[in-house]
Amino acid sequence: MRWCLSLLLFCFLAVVNALSSSGNRLLVVLEDATEKESYSTFLGDLEARGYNPVVESPKSDKLSLFELGERAYDHVLLFPPRSKGFGPSLSPKNIIEFMNKDGNVLLALSGKSTTPSAISSLLLELDLHLSTDRSSMVVDHFNYDIHSAAETHDVLLLQRPGQLRPDTKSFFDGEGVLAFPSAAPHTLGDSNPLLAPILSAPVTAYSYNPKEDFGSVEDVVASGSQLALVSAMQARNSARFTLLGSVESLQDKWFSATVKAPGDGKESETANRDFAKQLTAWAFKETGVLKVGKIEHHLAQDSEAPSVELNPKIYRIKNETVFSIEVSEYKYDKYVPFEVPENDALQLEFTMLSPFHRLDLQPSGKTENSSIYSTKFTVPDQHGIFSFRVNYKRPFLTSIEEKHEVTVRHYAHDEYPRSWKISGGWVWIAGLWSVVAGFLAFVIMWLYSAPTSTASTTKKTQ
Amino acid sequence: MQLWHTILQLSLLAVTAAPTAAAASAWGFTDATVSVHAKGAGVGSGLKENIPDNKALTKPVSLGSTDTLKVTLTAREGRSAKRAHQVFLLLQDPETGLDISYPFNVKDNGKSRVELTQKDLPVQFLSLSDPLNAKLLIGSFGSSEAYNGAAFKLAVTRSPDQPVPTVEVSRYGKLPEIHHIFKDDPQNPPIVITLAFVAMVLATLPVLAGMWLFLGANVRHLPNALKASPIPHTVFLGSLLSLEGIFFLYYQSWTLFQVLPAVAVAGTVAFISGSRALGEVQGRRLDGLR
Repeated sequence: MRWCLSLLLFCFLAVVNALSSSGNRLLVVLEDATEKESYSTFLGDLEARGYNPVVESPKSDKLSLFELGERAYDHVLLFPPRSKGFGPSLSPKNIIEFMNKDGNVLLALSGKSTTPSAISSLLLELDLHLSTDRSSMVVDHFNYDIHSAAETHDVLLLQRPGQLRPDTKSFFDGEGVLAFPSAAPHTLGDSNPLLAPILSAPVTAYSYNPKEDFGSVEDVVASGSQLALVSAMQARNSARFTLLGSVESLQDKWFSATVKAPGDGKESETANRDFAKQLTAWAFKETGVLKVGKIEHHLAQDSEAPSVELNPKIYRIKNETVFSIEVSEYKYDKYVPFEVPENDALQLEFTMLSPFHRLDLQPSGKTENSSIYSTKFTVPDQHGIFSFRVNYKRPFLTSIEEKHEVTVRHYAHDEYPRSWKISGGWVWIAGLWSVVAGFLAFVIMWLYSAPTSTASTTKKTQ
Repeated sequence: MQLWHTILQLSLLAVTAAPTAAAASAWGFTDATVSVHAKGAGVGSGLKENIPDNKALTKPVSLGSTDTLKVTLTAREGRSAKRAHQVFLLLQDPETGLDISYPFNVKDNGKSRVELTQKDLPVQFLSLSDPLNAKLLIGSFGSSEAYNGAAFKLAVTRSPDQPVPTVEVSRYGKLPEIHHIFKDDPQNPPIVITLAFVAMVLATLPVLAGMWLFLGANVRHLPNALKASPIPHTVFLGSLLSLEGIFFLYYQSWTLFQVLPAVAVAGTVAFISGSRALGEVQGRRLDGLR
């Protein structure tokens, strides 16, 4: 009976663990409960992946992100509010505090309604900028769905995003087109390395305010690919904030819509459902989460003798040293070996104030759910307190920051080459031993020499 | 049969007519000109070109640092001039795909104009070697097909003595590798020179011996001394030799705490036996032998 219960408990734990790497408590903030119906597939998918969505209205009294000073939820999904903001329990300060405690936030906006200024100021803290009127909408006269937006052109058809840069992993790629109805655009501040665009508007797209339209646009803040539709901010503590410009793209209707682009475009099914899965998986830390396993450093040796000490506290200058680090990546429900993207490198720095060595770590082995990266190098000829540092911060991947201090000493007095091995020292060695030999000869000569007649005669002449 | 033929012909006609029908409800432009004025130059100076309707200019347009680029056109839907919602001049870097659009000033009759100087361009465009692609985007709501076509190539020229502005943005990524540069190993002088000086140093011993022999040094008292007090003399000389031997071992492998007791023993022996031996030497002097 007992083992049956524990087996049940184990199975339950396994189910609970088979999802996000950072928990399954998901708060869905939805103002209008009747709207929940139109997102049933999306919310159902989240539940099927193991989340525990709690749908709350922002007006609810018992809604709070924290309980006794700790996070009450692991992730928050915010649907665009109808009223002026999300209310006091979801103020920008509280949301930032929630992220400071490692909580993840996915905020969806809509171009149909004006975004409240409270949200705009929250986004401003993260260096994401909405247009000043906060009610702009993206249109594109070249990539729209002719079935549903033949007149207004506000259902954008977009290609799935590929790699952000040649050296990043793509978590959002795939086949098919995405339909983004009435998307609210935003722009990214250019000085923040924590920001990364996930999906940008097409080159020909632009944004305008439908309420203040005078026949043609003459003043645009940004246009084309400068308009971001989906962006991500990953804080230094790896908490993730994701901004989705079009909440309507998550509706059931767009999960399985048939769309057609103008011109001779073919009819195609939208890939919104797949994209929504990828986006929520990334936002709620099911993908792109790195974990460091064993970190080892030791003296290099020719044979594989087990005698060498692991992770010694002290090295000597010019020692050959081997460093290895084990990294795994969380992928939906398990850890898999982490592969560094092409054109990128996991780098080891050997630093004292500034790096003396910065070396690319090479893959050297693989276990079932981690890969091992290692490198071999010579400790610099400078003694002091050094550290092995692996500082791997990349877009879409949680950061790795490892620092392991070691002492580097100089040669001990008996580790230098002996003086006879230094040919320049031979003169001094010869001098020393000739003095020794001369002293012994002098002692013998002084003890046993008999005075000679010549000596006495010279004395006399003097 | 005849009927089938007529239907086929009619449908073929419809197919061939379809593009022209579509063209009738497509956006385009006419009366397009592009001109570049240098600041302070008179009216009529500078470049002024007409862009053929719905086509591209073959000649590249160059924009200097004080010049103003002006593009005017009349947007039209099909054959009639009309105000379009989007009339943009799109500049795109052919290499990176970086794009920026400049909206035209559009009047109700479709007449549109845009003016542009180098100050309006993003910094990234100022340091390009290849000319930019300038495209015209004309489109509006409704079913008319929007126009997206190349207009001209825009070369951004800068005077060589002006520094090219650069942007430094921090992005997380791979950093250049660093390999520590080690100090050079200590060098030895050429072995020939060393050996020459070693020979000179060692040559002092034969020179010393020769000088002593020339001055009459000898060991003629050795048998007398050994006969008079054999043990002190042999022990004294032996302890001196062993002292030097200890020093040699110290140099070669011994540690200080191995050396110190050995030196203490050999030194005591040398002191005691030396005082006896020197007493014998004093006896020889008192005998007048030296």
